[in-house]
Amino acid sequence: MFYIHHTVCISPQISFPEVNLDNLLTSIDNKLYAKQVSSADIPPAILRRMGKAVKMAVSASGPLLKHYTNLDGIIIGTANGGMEDCIKFLNQIFQYEEGVLTPTNFVQSTPNAIAAQLGFISKNKGYNITHVHRGLAFENALIDVEMLLDDNPAHTYLLGGLDEISDYNFNIEYLCGYIKKEIINNSELYTGKTTGSIAGEGVAMFVVNNNKEGAISILKNVKTIHTTDKNEVLEVFKEFLFNSQLQNDEIDMLLTGENGDERYITYSELIESVVPDAIVARYKHMLGEFQTASAFALWLANYILQDQHVPVHMVKKQTISKPLRNIIIYNNYQGFQHSFMLLSKV
Amino acid sequence: MGSQELKQELKEKIIEFLNLIDTKPEDIKDDQPLFGEGLGLDSIDSIELIVLLDRNYGIKIKDPKEGRKVLVDINTMVDYIVKHRTK
Repeated sequence: MFYIHHTVCISPQISFPEVNLDNLLTSIDNKLYAKQVSSADIPPAILRRMGKAVKMAVSASGPLLKHYTNLDGIIIGTANGGMEDCIKFLNQIFQYEEGVLTPTNFVQSTPNAIAAQLGFISKNKGYNITHVHRGLAFENALIDVEMLLDDNPAHTYLLGGLDEISDYNFNIEYLCGYIKKEIINNSELYTGKTTGSIAGEGVAMFVVNNNKEGAISILKNVKTIHTTDKNEVLEVFKEFLFNSQLQNDEIDMLLTGENGDERYITYSELIESVVPDAIVARYKHMLGEFQTASAFALWLANYILQDQHVPVHMVKKQTISKPLRNIIIYNNYQGFQHSFMLLSKV
Repeated sequence: MGSQELKQELKEKIIEFLNLIDTKPEDIKDDQPLFGEGLGLDSIDSIELIVLLDRNYGIKIKDPKEGRKVLVDINTMVDYIVKHRTK
């Protein structure tokens, strides 16, 4: 459990510096690229060595690091880090026959380069770690923060989740059947009955601590599970609700990570059936599918609790209009990594 | 290739290799120090420049003392390339 105070999100939608989620920006060739943001605050000598993922993370963290100069740690979830630069480095090995290689692409492409760069720029010598557990990388970073705050109740942490589209991961995921064979528009993500999704990328950053004062929302519970067994997912969700000490009708909104892949729709439908009174909303048409998309979902839930407005294109099932106080996020990565988060308005 | 053309080519390659954002070849003076107060390069860049010389001109600098003499400015690099290039 912790309170969320400030957030920044760079995504394929209009989310930074101003937020306008009502106008859905569209995908190109089954890819939703994060919007380019100004890098004016990054020193040129550092900027020239940054890959896309690092640049996104530094740009998103900039306003938070300026405001919070005494953070006690930086905890990042990213499945791949700077994959594009990693592949550049690996290609050099072939191109130059394992000869002399340049270090920059390699140094900048490791997943922990992101948290390290943030620590370096902000001169933060606190706890600095990167979680890389594929579709649960962000959730594990989040659980790490929870445990840190249990041990250090007065601390404040920067928590983040991000991944980038690279040619490499797009091609691999396409060949594995996780990207749709047919080109679609993201506004039609849920209407087809085919396998695969669309690729996406983005970063969401959060400043979190145990202090209720000034907080926007509170993350009350999180649960992760690795399984392909639908009944097990359902049972874990019921247990999650029980442990959250909320009645089913107190859940105002269910934000699901439905991604347009017909193989995984049953998981979402089962979860929806447990909370029939909740608004059901979806988000993967806004940023595509990637391992740390749940970080965007948490940012989105936080924004919705603050704004009390759900863009029409997100709504799958509308219920009676009521104030939004409790949102459950259900994410599912490739049908075997599932997570639940409960976010409540302060 | 003449000395001036080689200098121009080297400047373009340095900008490309080191991803010197917002720097144009004409911004780099022939006698401007590459490191420190000049172009502001650092130790990682020195490795990149050694790799640049190897890949583009077939020059292998193995002695760090030699490297310090070569990687001073565009003039010293071009002089060395003219004398030692193998491609």
